[in-house]
Amino acid sequence: MSENSTRELEAFFQAKCVAIYGASVTPNSVGQAILQNFIKPQFTGKVVAVNPKYKQVMGVPCYSTLQEVPDPVDLVVVAVPARLAPAVFDDIAAKGSKAAIVISGGFSETGPRGAELENQIVAIANRSGIRIVGPNCVGVIDTHSHIDTFFLPEYRCGRPRASNVANISLVSQSGAFAAAISDWTAHLGLGISKIVSLGNKCDVDDDDLLAYLAVDNSTQVICFYTEGYDQDKGRTFFDMAKSVAPQKPVLVVKSGRGERAKAAASSHTGSLAGSDSIADAAYRQAGIIRADNFEQMFDMAKALAMQPPARGDRVLMVTNGGGLGVMTTDALEANGLAIPHPSPALEENLRSRMPAYCAVGNPVDVVGDTDAARYDGVFQAAIESGEYDMFVIGMLLQTPSLGMDITNVIANHQRQSGLPFVVVSMGGSFTTKAGEIMELMGVPTYATGEKAALAARALARYGEIRFGDGFKRTRRSGNS
Amino acid sequence: MKVAKRIFETARSENRNYVLENEAKDIMTAYGIPIPPYETATTVQEAVTKSKKIGFPVVVKILSKDILHKSDAGGVKVNIKDEAAVRSAFEEVMANSRKYGSEKGIQVDLSRGVLVSKFADTGTEVIVGVIHDAQFGHALMFGLGGIFVEVLKDVTFRLIPLTETDAREMVMEIKAAKILEGIRGQPARDVDALVKIILDISRMVQENPEIRELDCNPVFLYEKGKGATVVDARILIEGSQPEATSTH
Repeated sequence: MSENSTRELEAFFQAKCVAIYGASVTPNSVGQAILQNFIKPQFTGKVVAVNPKYKQVMGVPCYSTLQEVPDPVDLVVVAVPARLAPAVFDDIAAKGSKAAIVISGGFSETGPRGAELENQIVAIANRSGIRIVGPNCVGVIDTHSHIDTFFLPEYRCGRPRASNVANISLVSQSGAFAAAISDWTAHLGLGISKIVSLGNKCDVDDDDLLAYLAVDNSTQVICFYTEGYDQDKGRTFFDMAKSVAPQKPVLVVKSGRGERAKAAASSHTGSLAGSDSIADAAYRQAGIIRADNFEQMFDMAKALAMQPPARGDRVLMVTNGGGLGVMTTDALEANGLAIPHPSPALEENLRSRMPAYCAVGNPVDVVGDTDAARYDGVFQAAIESGEYDMFVIGMLLQTPSLGMDITNVIANHQRQSGLPFVVVSMGGSFTTKAGEIMELMGVPTYATGEKAALAARALARYGEIRFGDGFKRTRRSGNS
Repeated sequence: MKVAKRIFETARSENRNYVLENEAKDIMTAYGIPIPPYETATTVQEAVTKSKKIGFPVVVKILSKDILHKSDAGGVKVNIKDEAAVRSAFEEVMANSRKYGSEKGIQVDLSRGVLVSKFADTGTEVIVGVIHDAQFGHALMFGLGGIFVEVLKDVTFRLIPLTETDAREMVMEIKAAKILEGIRGQPARDVDALVKIILDISRMVQENPEIRELDCNPVFLYEKGKGATVVDARILIEGSQPEATSTH
């Protein structure tokens, strides 16, 4: 994708003046819901409505055609019946706007007549240099500019916010998933920069967004949900991801793991190759991290957004609960990470810093009566030793001896060392609150050892992708 | 590669979307892929002469544009140890092919005769293949042969072109990788030779994108330092699907 194309996509996220084509006064209509998003105070740009039926909609000036709008329009949101779309695009072309999000359905997804309408708008767009997202999509949410074309009421579909620490962007083939993820990440409080639903991909596709998000400073991790690619589009995505992935983490959830029909295969290889096994190989080869589901994707994305990648696979687990330590190290091992015992020198150093009843090994168990200072001593010695590439910290807060200054200790050591840290903290409402504080300080925090281990694995895998031969693997990669 | 282009042209002119085994092996030889010595013969006498030249034991296989799956047609005789056996193998393979044709109601073209090939020493069976995926393009597959591929489907894929790192990762990531490293007193297998075959196939397909499917099955892999050899090879090229109904 050219730099040009990347610049063309800016209007979808940074438009200063947006027109809602098909804005409506009808309650609960798409045309009303979208306009409503743009009259919220967060959106600081200008919005106009286009609909020959009205002079104004909800106090927003309304015009019969786009050409009558006095200001230049950067982005047109199209919510009109499909049959009217070609005329709308003539109007967009005449106005000179260069970006359109077509929310409406009734195009190629419905059959040949709809496909013909889609071809018509694409032809007009190509002639006039208009880029199209959609049709048949929910469009775009940008948490910085507050461009929001999701026609779903906020009390049903929460909107995520940008975080000060790090942000994730998601591109989804499915509009319904895009909405569900908006709602879910809003609830989790995960930092999101952009959510884009691509719909029929008549113009802007996965490749365009990958190129755009790769250079987007407000996106730290790029996530995709896809159900498959058009002819040869898997290959172009692969080629682009190969150059993007070492710069910025790219994660994919792909559905359709089932094996495709193999009736046509004439070779042995053909009969063994499901399309999904090819996709799986392509992701691996391109340095894309594949997640099995959205929960895993966001557990990994959160860690990758907040933490630097690991330079090797050696993990030290430090915990104040023995059970949590064992469960988490089990999970770390199952995720292909190395959990080496401290060297004799480090072991001696650690022992000198803790009461004799603490257990020195991997995990290091600072036990239940610990305070933050004991963790501090362990981090100092372990980081200094250079024996570990990553730290996973069990932080159980049910015991009152451990004060909230533990979050400072963890965040400080993480920042000073530049090594990736992951926290696992199980519990109820106090723990959840503490986890939120920990994340505000930049260290990802998980409710179970399994989730933390998955996050650690993502940090190691991304280290491999980023550093190549510079990544120090001590444990032979298994099939985990 | 010129050899490949010429062979694909011949195949297309004969309305085939697959190449004959000797042709597949000619192409692979041109890419430096190890193949047991082979010749073609259109008469019994020629088969005998070529067998002697190659050295016994040999294998005789039918070569016909009408037969994609040679074993199904009774068109393969292996471990042939002397001249008399070559004569009877030749006649038998021809007769079986004719019969196979008449059962299917077609006149089988027998003008290409047979392939005479050295009967290779058995090694660890592996499979290297290529398919063309509509979304991702050409992908290369590797796995251990026999039960590992048939029952366990222990195979792995990479998109073409592959780097040497990709090829080595593939070899090491199958579940049965330990077999190649040598287990239970068995010597380690010649992984370097295998990696070279994988990379040569990758280059061959990259330079000949009209290849749609390819099987090197089996490839015999010998102990470290003793190389590998592609025993059977099949290449399908762009064109309409053959009417083949069975695999193998």
